[in-house]
Amino acid sequence: MIPLAHYLILSGILFSIGLAGVLIRKNIIVVFMCLEMMLTASNVALVAFSRAQGTAGVPVYDAQVLSLFITGIAAAEVAIGLALIVAMFRARRTVESTALNTLKD
Amino acid sequence: MFETSLCQILFYLLAALAVLCAVGVVAYRNPVNSAMCMAVSFAMVAAIFFGMGAQFLGIVQLIVYAGAILVLFLFVVMMLDIHDEGKSRGSSVHATVGVLIAGFFAGLIIVTAWNLPGATEASCPARNLCSSMGELLIGDARTVSEAPATTPQYGSYLPELSPAAAARMENPAISEEEAAKATSISDVKLLGKCLYTHYNIPFVILGFALLSGTVGAVALARKIRKD
Repeated sequence: MIPLAHYLILSGILFSIGLAGVLIRKNIIVVFMCLEMMLTASNVALVAFSRAQGTAGVPVYDAQVLSLFITGIAAAEVAIGLALIVAMFRARRTVESTALNTLKD
Repeated sequence: MFETSLCQILFYLLAALAVLCAVGVVAYRNPVNSAMCMAVSFAMVAAIFFGMGAQFLGIVQLIVYAGAILVLFLFVVMMLDIHDEGKSRGSSVHATVGVLIAGFFAGLIIVTAWNLPGATEASCPARNLCSSMGELLIGDARTVSEAPATTPQYGSYLPELSPAAAARMENPAISEEEAAKATSISDVKLLGKCLYTHYNIPFVILGFALLSGTVGAVALARKIRKD
């Protein structure tokens, strides 16, 4: 048997790696991948809690429904985000986040 | 006993692989390599879902993340011919600050999870919290109030799944003997029951969000004609 804490720690580590990627990487596509990783990490925590909170051996399905919603929203978000990246590439010919400095200059 | 240890070994192996591939996503300079690492990482997370008994979510994780989203990423990476990958990483100061912030965050989460009230006691911390909150319940009050009578002594471990209880929840009219014959939980049926009763309207709204996402993606990515 695996304690609940181990699932939560796995979720936290995955989330932190995603956070590190968002902070470190300059390539917007990779930043976006790291965002997806953070959403997946939250899914792991939700499913683990759904098992831990279950009564009489049946998981709480509310948490799994929430996890399903997160997956659906992530799919819509990826479609919009990648379309924005394509539009940005058309305008700037680059996908580096440091290139977006028009307001700074 | 053998089965239990096998489950443990598989979980730690899959978790280590998932974390390793997640590090690969951040570390690789080539976005194609990052995307491949992301696919493996998501597949490992899907396997962990299977291990937790959430078969439907594991399948969804595989199809949506490792299938659809990955293909979209690869498509965009290949379509935008990204040439200067050498400069995609910032200075070492920038990287150090990022790793420090993320490491601090990870440490915070690990310490919190490790010190959950009840991690060493024979009860689930979240349920203790629920029963102590009395009237301030979120969700189905009935389920929580009958919890103490049926609480097994599982410590902070995830409780065993009970096919009989799931069969009774699926069909309340079924007799005890019939329910006891059940050998596996029909995860999809119970999840669908919850999704299409309690969460019907949010589910419809999710459908609209996906539709507007599709329309928005087409509108944003289309070429604007100059004439």
